[in-house]
Amino acid sequence: MSHLQKPVADRLLGIVLIGLAAFVAVQAIQLEVPFSYEPVGPRAFPLGLSILLAGLSLVLIFKPGADGHWPNRVLSIRLLLVLGLLLAYAMLFTRLGFVPTSLMVVAALARLFDATWIKALITGVLMSACSYVLFTEGLGIALPTGTWLAAIT
Amino acid sequence: MFDFLIDGFGVALTPLNLGLAFLGALLGTLFGALPGIGPINGIAILMPLAYTLGLPAESALILLAGIYTGSEYGGRMSSILLNVPGDAGAVMTTLDGHPLAKKGLAGPALGLSAVSSFVGATIAIIGLTLFAPLLAEVAVMFGPAEFFALMVFAFSSMSVMMGKDPVKTAIGAVLGVLLATVGVDSGTGVMRYTFGMPELYDGIDFVVMIIGLFAISEILLMLEHANRKDVDDEMPPLGRVFVTLKEVLYCKGAMWRSGVLGFIIGVLPGTGASVAGAVAYTTEKRLSDKNGTFGHGDMRGLAAPEAANNASAAGSFVPMLTLGIPGSGTTAVLLGALMLYNITPGPMMFTERPEVAGGLIASLYIGNIVLLALNLPLAGVFARVLTIPRWVLVPAIAILAFVGVYQLHSDLTAIYLMLIIGVFGYLLRKLGFSLAPVILGYVLGGLMEQNLRRALSISGGDVDILWQSGISLGLWIAAAALLVLPWLVPKLLSKKPREKTQQD
Repeated sequence: MSHLQKPVADRLLGIVLIGLAAFVAVQAIQLEVPFSYEPVGPRAFPLGLSILLAGLSLVLIFKPGADGHWPNRVLSIRLLLVLGLLLAYAMLFTRLGFVPTSLMVVAALARLFDATWIKALITGVLMSACSYVLFTEGLGIALPTGTWLAAIT
Repeated sequence: MFDFLIDGFGVALTPLNLGLAFLGALLGTLFGALPGIGPINGIAILMPLAYTLGLPAESALILLAGIYTGSEYGGRMSSILLNVPGDAGAVMTTLDGHPLAKKGLAGPALGLSAVSSFVGATIAIIGLTLFAPLLAEVAVMFGPAEFFALMVFAFSSMSVMMGKDPVKTAIGAVLGVLLATVGVDSGTGVMRYTFGMPELYDGIDFVVMIIGLFAISEILLMLEHANRKDVDDEMPPLGRVFVTLKEVLYCKGAMWRSGVLGFIIGVLPGTGASVAGAVAYTTEKRLSDKNGTFGHGDMRGLAAPEAANNASAAGSFVPMLTLGIPGSGTTAVLLGALMLYNITPGPMMFTERPEVAGGLIASLYIGNIVLLALNLPLAGVFARVLTIPRWVLVPAIAILAFVGVYQLHSDLTAIYLMLIIGVFGYLLRKLGFSLAPVILGYVLGGLMEQNLRRALSISGGDVDILWQSGISLGLWIAAAALLVLPWLVPKLLSKKPREKTQQD
């Protein structure tokens, strides 16, 4: 079915990239440059690149390649879940501390990658504990213990 | 002339560096063997840890180079056993490697690929020892204009050689160069594309960049493969683990030819292991495939790309060490790693920091022997790594990525930036981009602009300086020829009568 349709992905990408090129160029032009002895200031290089990028994007728009395989709905949801988990990992990393956050995130990630709940939990416990010992004792890295925990005690 | 090598062995043979070469080889093989993780991902994930150890520059480089060459070794495991190439460089290995495994010769195939990797790498390391100092002497004559032309040449050769789509390769490189312009402009102190964020004043951090681009995007991509069932998941039995001398001698022609070929291709900037493997395989097929056995488990068809892969890996150190222009995506990462130590590889490195250049080359000799010693007897153990399920692998990568970035910055902004870059990398890969040009552009972008501006400062703004010298003019012509020829040659050929192609 999809091979009968006109390729969309590359055209869309081309348009987005031209937008990016315009943004880069406008930002470069707006730079306030103090007096300098150099003949070429900080503007020229990004400007040149944006022109090059726009040109290449035009080629992409007029000669697009075939669309690749894009995730279906189920996969997209799982993809967003993984991203959400990584984001949660980032947000809780210093607040909740390394071990509890890693335990939860590892278990959830493992579950998302088709592990059973039991296996996912065991992976979470083992991996967070082992990596904590390895990083702090073995490599001497200071890992966050959690600002929330510190606030309570 | 070879003083640097003798000094280098002095550096590489200290217990610490010997241990690191061994550790790198071991870790590299393990990471390369992990499904879906090629050399570049392996280095990206392990690099921050190399910094935490607080190693001096030459030791860190020895560790990383060990990981690099080791993962080239490890990458063949999944190619041969599962028909899943760990990275682009290993695609050709699947063609005859997997049929061999299906015939029950998985063990000998692994052994043979270890031996041919060793032969290929040895040829290339000797080539590196001979040619790098010579090239460095030539490169001393390079001024800013020549370096700028050289980088243009590197990008154009990469666009033509790397990936299926030259336009996308070029776009990837431009995006990489653009990312390199973020931060304080060194010439004038003007902030470019920092959007008022202090974290961006020094530019996008290299470690954040490569971990996001390679590790995080890999996690997202793996989700897709997790429930795809088109790959051969059944692991074939290894059979006897040793390769016989007779089998090795049968392939000796394929090995040395491909080794030399792989080295030459590796030296060309921008063309990495994938091109080397493909060229070596097709050449060998043309030369020795008399009975049509290639593709059905011919040992020579396995030996050729394996020798070429590893030869090009070592060969790509030549432009990196002498000119500061990486020959592949992976050496671009290594170059970035060196820059973090305030060492800019280039012609002066052999005279100013001989312990780094010599130590690295010497450690390649040692690492190569270590790898053969590790891989021949332990192939069965490494093959077990393939059975590690993704639900263990992915969380482990996530932890390594987060801790790697956190311990360098102790700062959440860096982690958020890593995630954003990861999504960016994922989208690029889904759109058919190869990430090697992006990272190459990112690493070279700053140097490219500096050299351009320096050249124009010398000439007082006269653009002619860029192609005034013979070297730079030659490089410009070569770059233009590379871009035009692949497009022009088929057009010229198609005008000739077609009967000839049908006869073949």
